[in-house]
Parts: sequence; structure tokens; C-alpha cells
Amino acid sequence: MRPVGDHGPSGPVQQQPTVRRNPVPSLLESLGRDHLDPGYAEAARRKANGGAAAPGPGSSRAWSVAAVAAALVVVGVLFGVSASSAEENAPRAEKTRSALLEDIDRAEQQESVLATSIADLAEQLRATQSALGVAGPLETVAALELAGQITPVTGPGLRIVLDEAPKDDENASTSGVILDRDIQLLVNDLWAAGAEGIAIGGVRVQPRSAIRQAGGSILVDNRPVFWPLTIEAVGDPSGMQVKLIGSAGYGRFSTFAQLYGIEFDVSAQETLNLPGGTGADLLFASAPPTS
Amino acid sequence: MYALLALAAGVAIGLFVHPTVPDWLGPYLPIAVVAALDAVFGGLRAKLDDIFDAKVFVISFVANVLVAAFIVFLGDQLGVGAQLSTAVVVVLGIRIFGNAAAIRRHIFKA
Repeated sequence: MRPVGDHGPSGPVQQQPTVRRNPVPSLLESLGRDHLDPGYAEAARRKANGGAAAPGPGSSRAWSVAAVAAALVVVGVLFGVSASSAEENAPRAEKTRSALLEDIDRAEQQESVLATSIADLAEQLRATQSALGVAGPLETVAALELAGQITPVTGPGLRIVLDEAPKDDENASTSGVILDRDIQLLVNDLWAAGAEGIAIGGVRVQPRSAIRQAGGSILVDNRPVFWPLTIEAVGDPSGMQVKLIGSAGYGRFSTFAQLYGIEFDVSAQETLNLPGGTGADLLFASAPPTS
Repeated sequence: MYALLALAAGVAIGLFVHPTVPDWLGPYLPIAVVAALDAVFGGLRAKLDDIFDAKVFVISFVANVLVAAFIVFLGDQLGVGAQLSTAVVVVLGIRIFGNAAAIRRHIFKA
């Protein structure tokens, strides 16, 4: 390779021999040209020059056959081992993944079983307490629990079914997505419309519940709920519906339904069964000591 | 001929003996495989060019595998292991392609 500006032997006559400033071809150039190890060419040249090969253990035919065979056995073992280990590894990763998914499923099932048992035990406790006749203060407690959305309730109300727009459109995946703040607005409008108890996807909304988004899924009270989302609100169905239709949340969702094709159905229901909430976990607060 | 037999025997040993690969060797195995492939294709091409030399083949194979593994090891220690493995794979991959093309020209005259 001749550096730029070098006129070469055909240029103006120079006393000293042409200086080759870059005698070694650049790395990338040699990468493109010299695929074969230069050692082979050199060995061939040496052989041609010396006639017989140079003396040494590498020269005898048996030795070279043995060496090449040994090297190739090593190569083969390398191939075989990596093939078998690759075969082993692929299902192992898949197995780990499905095992983790199973663990999650099992934990979720256990959680829901425990939640039901909490509700059952609370029911038993209340029944026993009222049987014992400590009615006065306990009724206050029961009323407070009802107001705190802890006890399961049943009654007429509205059912709203929400689902994201179908994904098979060409439009980007972001356009048909319902965000947590949309659901928050709708739930607040339901409270404002006179709902007495609300459950989202089977999770009771409590005074301290949060509706949040984590990735593509909605968390209610830190529990994931899945599309299509069912929001059930106990209250006067017709009155609630009238108030809800005038609210901002309803307007937003009906616009979404028209523009983006999300599912948004509001229907009055005769009886809705809302599960009880889990109650607030108080970590630092405690009742003041009564003197 | 004996080379093919040796290669097949090695593959058979590797597949059937099923040795467990120790964990520290894990990252170097693919690099070693690529380096071995490079040596094998280089040797085959040299054979077809009639300049095959056993000493060059064996030494280049061993040295390539060791150097490739060492580069990856060094990269792991420096925190650029992935990039250096990519570099090794690119360089060896280009050589494998070039040698395979030369072998193809030898065999098919095209």
C-alpha cells in the first residue's frame, strides 16, 4: 500500500530508495485478503527451498498424521461437547422460566385462598361476637368496617366492562392503551355519582387503595387485574348512571371508544356481589391509650 | 481421510461421553468452537491448495484457541468481555467465510 503523496519510482528521481511508510497492510485490509494462515505458505516455501523437510519430529509422516488426528479429535470433542451443552441449556432456560411462572401462579392462588379465609374468619368472628351479645360497640365496629369497605357487600349497581383496543391494527401499540389515570378518573366519578362500594376486577377498592400501572398491567391495591377489566359499583343503578353520563370520566371513555375502538360497556345489574377488602395494615399508627 | 475419521470420532466422543462443562469454562466454549472451525477450514483449504503442513495446522489450532480464550478472559476481567468476544467472532468469522469460499472455488470451480 502506497501512502498518499508518495510518487513512487516513476516520480521525480530521488537518491534514496522509496520510503514505504506503511509497509504492513492495514488490519482490515489483511482481514479481507489473508484468510489462510500465512504459516502454510511459509511452510510450503520452506519445503520448496530445502527440498526435504527440515529435520525434527514434525517431519516424519507418522508423527504429522498422529498430530493432525489428535488435533482433529480435540476439535471434534469441542464440537460435540458444545453441541450437547447447547442442547442442554436451551430447555433449561425454558424450564426455569416455566417453573418461575408456576411459582407465581401458586403464590397468587395461595394469596387468594388466604384472602378468602380472612374474610371467612372475620365473618365468623362477627357472628360469634354478636352471639355473645356484645352488640353495642360491635355494631359500631361493623358499621365502620362497612364504611371502610372491608366487609363484603351485595346490592344493585352498575357494571362497567373495559378492554383495550384490539392490537392487530397497524396503529402503534400505544394508541389503544388505557392508562391508570383514566381508570382513576372513572372510579372517582363513580364515587361522586353515589357508589357505595366499588370493585375492580374482583379487588375491592378501599379508602387507601391505589390504582396504578406497572408496565402493561393495572394494579389495584398492589394486586394485578387483567383485561378485560370489570368495574362493579354498588349503588342506585339509574341515579348513578344518570350522574355518571354527565361526568368527565364517562366522557373520556366514550371518546376513547369512538376514536380508538376500546371496549366500554356500562350496564345496570340487579345484584352485584363485591368481595371484602383486606383492611389497612397499620405499621406505625395505634389507638391512643384510654385513660 | 484419517482426518475425517478423527473428526467424526471426536464428535462422537463429545456427544456420547457427555462430559459436564465446568462453569468457568462456559464462556470460552463458543469462542473455542469458532477458533477450531477457523483452524479446520484453514487446514482444509491448505490441503486443497497442496500446502498443508501438519505442524502449522496443529500449532495454529492450539494457539488460536488459547489466544481467543485469553482475549475473552481478559475482556471478562476488564468488563468488556462481550465486546471482545464479538471482536474475536467477527475476525474468525471473516476468515472462516473467506476459507470456505476458497474451498468452494476449489471443489465446484465456481
